[in-house]
Amino acid sequence: MPIDAAETPVDTKVEIPKVRAFRRLLERLILSEYLVFYITGVYFLIVWPIVPEIASFSSLRNILTDMLPLLVVAIGQTFVLIVAGIDLSVTGVIAMASVVGASIMTSDGGYLQGSALAIPVGIIAFLVVGGLIGGFNGWCVTRLNMPPIIVTLTGMMFLGGAAIWFTKAHSPTSSIAGLPRAFVAIGGGTFAGVPIALFVAIAVVVVAHFLLSQTVFGRWLYAIGINPKAAKVSGVPVDKAILWAFVISGVCAAITSMLLTGRLETGTPVLGQRILLDIIAAVVIGGTSLAGGKGKIIWTVGGVLFLVTIDASLKLLGSSLFIVFAVKGGVILLAVGLDAMRQRILARGSG
Amino acid sequence: MTPPHAGGEAFLQARELSKSFFGVKVLKEVGFTLDKGEVLGLVGENGSGKSTAMNILGGIHQPDSGQMTLAGKPYRPTGPKDAQRAGLAFIHQELNLFENLSIEENVFISGFPKRRGLPLINRRKIGKETKRLLDLVDLGHPPGTRVGKLSQGERQLVEIAKALGFDAKVIIFDEPTTSLSRRESEKLFTIVGRLKAQGIGVIYISHILGDVLRVCDSVQVLRDGAVAGGGPRASMSIDKIISMMVGRKIGNLFPPRESHPGEVVLDVAGLTQPGVVKDVSLSLRSGEVLGVSGLMGAGRSELARILFGLDPFKSGTITVEREPLENPSPEICMARGLAFLTEDRRAEGLLMEASIRDNVALSSLNSYARGLSHRLSWPKLDRDVAEVSDKVKVNTSDYIRMLVKHLSGGNQQKVVFAKWLLRQPSIFILDEPTRGIDVGAKLEVYKIINQLVLDGAAILFISSEMEELIGMCDRIMVMNRGEVTGFHERGDFDGERILETAMSVGLREPEQADRKER
Amino acid sequence: MQVGENRTTLLLLNAAPWVAFLAVVVVFGVLSDRFLTIQNFMNILTQSSHIAIMAIGITFVLLTAGIDLSVGAIMYVAVAVLALFLGGIPVVIAFPLVGLIGVALGAMNGYFVIKLRGQHPFIVTLATLFILRGAAIFLTDTRMVFVEESVMSLGRTSYFGVPWAIWVFAVVFVIAWIVLRETPFGRQIYAVGQDPTAAAKAGINVPRILFSVYCICGFLAAVGGLVSIAQVAAASSTFGFQIEFPVIAAAVLGGTSLFGGRGGVVGTVFGAVLIQTVQSGLVMTNATPYIYPLVTAVIIFLAVLIDGLRTSILDTLGRRKIRVEEIA
Repeated sequence: MPIDAAETPVDTKVEIPKVRAFRRLLERLILSEYLVFYITGVYFLIVWPIVPEIASFSSLRNILTDMLPLLVVAIGQTFVLIVAGIDLSVTGVIAMASVVGASIMTSDGGYLQGSALAIPVGIIAFLVVGGLIGGFNGWCVTRLNMPPIIVTLTGMMFLGGAAIWFTKAHSPTSSIAGLPRAFVAIGGGTFAGVPIALFVAIAVVVVAHFLLSQTVFGRWLYAIGINPKAAKVSGVPVDKAILWAFVISGVCAAITSMLLTGRLETGTPVLGQRILLDIIAAVVIGGTSLAGGKGKIIWTVGGVLFLVTIDASLKLLGSSLFIVFAVKGGVILLAVGLDAMRQRILARGSG
Repeated sequence: MTPPHAGGEAFLQARELSKSFFGVKVLKEVGFTLDKGEVLGLVGENGSGKSTAMNILGGIHQPDSGQMTLAGKPYRPTGPKDAQRAGLAFIHQELNLFENLSIEENVFISGFPKRRGLPLINRRKIGKETKRLLDLVDLGHPPGTRVGKLSQGERQLVEIAKALGFDAKVIIFDEPTTSLSRRESEKLFTIVGRLKAQGIGVIYISHILGDVLRVCDSVQVLRDGAVAGGGPRASMSIDKIISMMVGRKIGNLFPPRESHPGEVVLDVAGLTQPGVVKDVSLSLRSGEVLGVSGLMGAGRSELARILFGLDPFKSGTITVEREPLENPSPEICMARGLAFLTEDRRAEGLLMEASIRDNVALSSLNSYARGLSHRLSWPKLDRDVAEVSDKVKVNTSDYIRMLVKHLSGGNQQKVVFAKWLLRQPSIFILDEPTRGIDVGAKLEVYKIINQLVLDGAAILFISSEMEELIGMCDRIMVMNRGEVTGFHERGDFDGERILETAMSVGLREPEQADRKER
Repeated sequence: MQVGENRTTLLLLNAAPWVAFLAVVVVFGVLSDRFLTIQNFMNILTQSSHIAIMAIGITFVLLTAGIDLSVGAIMYVAVAVLALFLGGIPVVIAFPLVGLIGVALGAMNGYFVIKLRGQHPFIVTLATLFILRGAAIFLTDTRMVFVEESVMSLGRTSYFGVPWAIWVFAVVFVIAWIVLRETPFGRQIYAVGQDPTAAAKAGINVPRILFSVYCICGFLAAVGGLVSIAQVAAASSTFGFQIEFPVIAAAVLGGTSLFGGRGGVVGTVFGAVLIQTVQSGLVMTNATPYIYPLVTAVIIFLAVLIDGLRTSILDTLGRRKIRVEEIA
């Protein structure tokens, strides 16, 4: 294997082997699955002297709180990408779940206004909305044979409109405010000085990582992503597994919706409207392939961390929106370029 | 343009072509000649070297040694384009047509004539030219018809017209009639006759010996990568060709095995799926190897896919260990003790981008799952994977990291065996288990199969290699155009007779064929 | 016979979009007496023209089984350049320059798509979407930009009673139609989309075709920007934001397959107009505006569902038969 090859001792007496050793180190770096963490670290170290504030407690805290909602929904997306699908409807889910959940809990005429059940039922409503939409997406993809990109694209359009319509029907303004304190804490509150959202996100990371790396279901997803035909012949319930991947994506989006709704203290249909491309970019930067069969939760954590770090540093640098956009685009190109390079190195190594 | 060939020398000549892949010699000093206006039939079993020889002719492979000449000049194609420029056209089983374009567009896709001074396609010209070409092949459709609307046979005629369009001097047909109706085949033969009359050389590759004898002026038989015989049509007969194809005595390549068939474990009755299989009945006992012989496209793989629940069937019953198998799916079939090794290892058998462990474990994951979360027990899984991989002698020790795509064909096949063995199934459906692997690996596959049988497994063994079937099976079932045409018992094996049953369509006269269809 | 049934279903599925269009027109015609008027028809065409033009561009890309998410960003860059730098220049010079910018940006997409083969164009154009949006924001400094009176007046101009936007739309449509149907390049686009390997075997320069379709798409995105800005006169920082979705939807609704090789600009124009017709009908029947995206989404969903069914039937029909049932 090429990775092992780099570990063989190299004669440093001559000039050429030195160059070669450097090249091998470089290749090894590129092949490393934690590349995005190294890059984030290096980037951080470069930016630090320029804007020392970035290492301040409040800045790091901001990075963290910005990261959490994006991370949760990106984790759901990872599941779908592993089976070679894509889920563009997540922003629609975020919006829809937000207003549906809020309509139950709000003190301005909510369905369960003032009831002790308001919060638990509200939370369940969030998750059910996400799960049902995810399930519908999965059903269309597996049973109706529709391309995931279009199913979820129309889902995004539909839900975006439906969420606004739903809000209008429940509130005179364009959002639903008056949410219970205890719910708002999920997005904005702290427990022992630690944001509660962090606990939620960690729980999602742990469960998702466990599902992908330790369970039968996880193995099935990878197998389907690599070769759905071979998976079917080997007795993998392909349709069922793809359906569940979409359900997970929907539920994760619903959890993100909870975090964001809590933080804003209102349910609003414009929630998460602009983060769709960030979500996909973060997952892809981490190293998960759009072609399926490849992806890890830890990679997605890295991708999200990188994207948010860049965002934060650019803000501190006083960069205009222009630089933020351009850098994000450049980073995606860099990620796909690195992936192409990776494939070439691997092909050469095995050749 | 082409100079008339020197007197006495054939138009296309190949001498002593040899070719090895990964140290296995697949072509041994094969030569042939083709004159203008001659039809040369090329026959041989799968793996006899036909396709390698044709790939060399088409520039896809380069020979290790040997020469070819075309029209008296050395011919050394380095790619398909070279071959095309030299005037060779290939009509493959898989046609190279764009279904979404019209006939005329397909004919001219490589270079459209334009209207004077405009970047537009000269529709009049391509229409007229295509019409002329279509007339040559007797295809009455307007040139603007979309290819997607044509039948398989009509598409083939379009390919021929296309070849005529760029002035092909030699046209090579590879199994042209497998997907044609009898009527379409008849038409094809007429066209071949016409090509011949125009001075075009034709190489005709087919398993259907009746057709070969009918259209060819001379026949050449390949066996194990070498020329086994041949000659002008007058000197050949179907019997003679078959004995050349089967050739040498079945050696002791096949490890001996005692045969003690037990209970019937798989019983199929009247299995029918329109357009695929018709009224297939068979019974398979434990401790038995039932071979399935037949030509390419006889419905063998399709039968296997139906039995494993991958494809639907319309009527008939499947019984596994006396219990009917209802609404089969791979999961249900596996739960009932079936295993299925597909003919296409790359596309359906393996996850090429995954490790050996992931592949071997794939079908058995559920039995290593614990608790509500179906958490995998890795140590136990790794231990069992290593054990079963050792048992089939997969040639590596790094099961966890080694990707399957880096293994040789033989080792890949052993990984597929390991995958199923881990489940300990009782009925194996093996579709071409030794395709594309070298002799050493074949022997090991035979040993694995024999061990399975000794342990009481039942095996349905689909193969295109007659020797292998005769060497390994207790009984051989022959299929032809989706129907079972005969069973042969072990004591009674006779390669020539089995081939005859398999090729009976080719032997049948056209009227008989029609009567059979009722 | 089953084959026969399939063919009938196929015929029905093929007719479905047209039936749907007819149904939409009839329903709104009954609900609102202003709907079935020449004036309303003109309005629909004018309002749908920029989407239709961009959708024609993306049709070229979809035909090769690619996708271009950056059209909205290209549109914004083109308009920003026009407003900020080409203010004093007469439109006959300024517009071609803007078109050239579109071609250049499309060429960038094409270059990356070819170079990073194996990466889906989805992700490549997602990246350029970000970069170009950034560039546009850099140019405009997130401020609203305004175009010259000479450009705005075009938006109000009519020739022979037909608004300028419709003329542009018509010219683009006719040229695109001719290119796709009657030029070697057009037919080779279809061949590449159907089967790139077979196309390469047939001697088609596949990378060149891919590069060209992204250039065309970029060019038409810029043209779409011009048509749009002439109508609205000013562009905020959300100009063209997420317009890629309705643009792709129009093409898909018109029967262009995401998997390449199938479809064409007639369908695309039909798709764009259908979407606008529905919206216009909803406006006239005083439906709540929040329902527009819902209805549009449902229509696209159904169109793709129909396309999926059609594809699977075509697959069944195309599968090779072992037993050839002879028809006497």
